[in-house]
Amino acid sequence: MTFEFAKGGGGRFHGIHPVLEGILRTVALDPWERCPEGSARLLPPPGEDEELCIDWQDHVQPELRRGFDAARAVVEGDLATMVREKDETWSLQIPADHGEAWLSTLNALRLALASEHVLTEAELSEREEPDFSTPRGLAVMQVNFFAFIQECLIRAMEGDGE
Amino acid sequence: MATPDLLESPETDLREELDRPWLVVVHNDPVNLMSYVTMVFRRIFGWTAEKAEQHMMEVHHKGRSVVWSGGREQAELYVQQLHGFLLLATMEKAP
Repeated sequence: MTFEFAKGGGGRFHGIHPVLEGILRTVALDPWERCPEGSARLLPPPGEDEELCIDWQDHVQPELRRGFDAARAVVEGDLATMVREKDETWSLQIPADHGEAWLSTLNALRLALASEHVLTEAELSEREEPDFSTPRGLAVMQVNFFAFIQECLIRAMEGDGE
Repeated sequence: MATPDLLESPETDLREELDRPWLVVVHNDPVNLMSYVTMVFRRIFGWTAEKAEQHMMEVHHKGRSVVWSGGREQAELYVQQLHGFLLLATMEKAP
């Protein structure tokens, strides 16, 4: 799988293996439905002040959630345009102005997955392949796969690929 | 009836309380990428890459970094922006 930088951010992923293509499509699923326990991490409290926390829950968090949902809708639209190549792999174009939405959506899912499975920093940095037959191993693989896509997009958005 | 001594003390406390700025603190988490945290700091605070990286490293090594201090309203706005980028951020009164 390779990433081709586009001018001004964004780019195109080539050679996406069908297994990864399937995993990639899950990015657009609602993290609140997919990881009901882990998704609490997506809307943390702003501190210990009780009054502030209540105000936050009532006014800020609904707005934040609307923002996450809007970003997910953009990602869903891009995933619908994925192309199957002659060699059975897939390619995905991410327009420059969709980069923010992708970063937000990938990050939300990575955080929710890691929180749901209580993944540690050491586990996520482990060089050996996780055991994909377990839900935990599968979560580690997904968090790291989505991190790779995030890194590519950050480099594109920060102009490192030009 | 309260004595003058007892009256003075809470007033001083209140003034001190109002004078203490709010701190915006970013906490470490095992998932957010270093490059992502650096990018977010640059976007929100308009910092140079070096300054953003210094604070990111402080979060990574010390578990937290104070990224801003000042009035409550602006602190709330920054925490909201940081939460929008899914960073673990809180606000607290300066000690």
